[in-house]
Amino acid sequence: MKNILTIAKNTFKETIRDKILYGIFAFALLFLLSTIFFGSISLGEDVKVVKDFGLAGIYAFSIIITVFLGTSLIYKEIEKRTLYVILSKPVTIIQFLLGKFFGLFASVSLNILLMTIVHLAVVYFKGGGFDYLSLWSILLLIFEIALFISIAILFSTFSTPLAGAIYSIILLYIGHSLGLLLDYVKNSGALAKFFANVVYYILPNLEKFNIRNSVVHGIHPTGSDIIYPILYSSLYSIILLWLAATSLKKQEI
Amino acid sequence: MINITKLSKTYSKDKIVEDLSLTINKGQIFGFLGPNGAGKTTTMKMLVGLSTPSCGIIEINNSSINKNKELIGYMPEDPYFYDHLTAKEFLTFMQELFKNKTKDIQNILKLVGLEKAMHQKIQEFSKGMKQRLGLAQAIINDPQYLFLDEPLDGLDPIGRREFKEIFLNLKKEGKTIFFNSHVLSDVEEICDQIGIINKGKLIYSGDVKTFCGKKSLEDAFVEKLINK
Repeated sequence: MKNILTIAKNTFKETIRDKILYGIFAFALLFLLSTIFFGSISLGEDVKVVKDFGLAGIYAFSIIITVFLGTSLIYKEIEKRTLYVILSKPVTIIQFLLGKFFGLFASVSLNILLMTIVHLAVVYFKGGGFDYLSLWSILLLIFEIALFISIAILFSTFSTPLAGAIYSIILLYIGHSLGLLLDYVKNSGALAKFFANVVYYILPNLEKFNIRNSVVHGIHPTGSDIIYPILYSSLYSIILLWLAATSLKKQEI
Repeated sequence: MINITKLSKTYSKDKIVEDLSLTINKGQIFGFLGPNGAGKTTTMKMLVGLSTPSCGIIEINNSSINKNKELIGYMPEDPYFYDHLTAKEFLTFMQELFKNKTKDIQNILKLVGLEKAMHQKIQEFSKGMKQRLGLAQAIINDPQYLFLDEPLDGLDPIGRREFKEIFLNLKKEGKTIFFNSHVLSDVEEICDQIGIINKGKLIYSGDVKTFCGKKSLEDAFVEKLINK
């Protein structure tokens, strides 16, 4: 446990000092502040538009940060051989991967927290009061990011950052379209339905984490809307990190 | 004591290391020599547990390497570290991975000549400074066994002399040092024993003086490889 925390702390320091992060974060802040403008050109729906754009912006920028930092996380360690130094010490591959995971997770979560503060301030400024409902949406976003970091880490154990970024984004897109896939094959043959069901249950269903529309319209999420995605993210992340460890063990570093 | 018995490593169908057996006694400096691609780095990676042998046994203190990681230090060839950390932060990170934290980071930085650069980010380091930091992280846990892959590469003559002095002092403290090197004059100067590997096979293991006779190590080494 101590080694995981040590590696996580170092990964957090490394990622938080990456200049790419500052660039993306600056764009994110500009976007969140610009939602004031989007709100003012809407017809009487200022607050709703600000909330909608704000939450979508936080989501998009969190994904961008994760793609940039996550897909090179393990690849860089292998390429630059820093992995040699770590694994020659009393550290196992799974401790190393968990440390990297928690370090990046802390770094992205901190960015989400800062973006959320700006978003809440903008909503308050536009007369929406304290938008506590958005916090439920942000909580689920954090758990979606945990799952997405695990995906990025898995890809970064065997592919270049560019290829890893492409695979992760494709998986993200599919993960948000699985419901549509099931609807699409409703009237198709048994084989197509079987195939769609296999894909639906194997690939990560990321729409479980999306309650943005509901909270923007003031609908309170139920307990299961929150707890079920959290458990889903935790279990899926464990499986992905175990696969990443298996992939790394099989490689001759 | 390091005991290596019938160690082999095969990648696809290529035998990189074949039937290598060696014994390195405690408190010795052992130079592991060979031409490029002979299998030196692969052997060292197996010795420190980074690579799994295809067959054979490696024992340190009569038990497996994975049970002895607290006792070893390793410096990879051409080391590269985390750019955004300072030297002190990096060494603190490395030290926290061990249960035993006996060495003082400031003293280690002083020993390897990086005391003034302790708050400097690693991305600003020269190759020689990275080499010094590589040695510092290898001795951070006060290891009994030290594995160094080309430790003298990238150092200026003063740096090389300082490193050799450090190795000799570590030997005086009873540490065992196993190192790969191309710089044969340095090997001749500080090693008690040498091993020569060529095309994955150990072709000599023993005393440096016996191997050299009246020749320099470089001449004896070249002659041995040509005759092979």
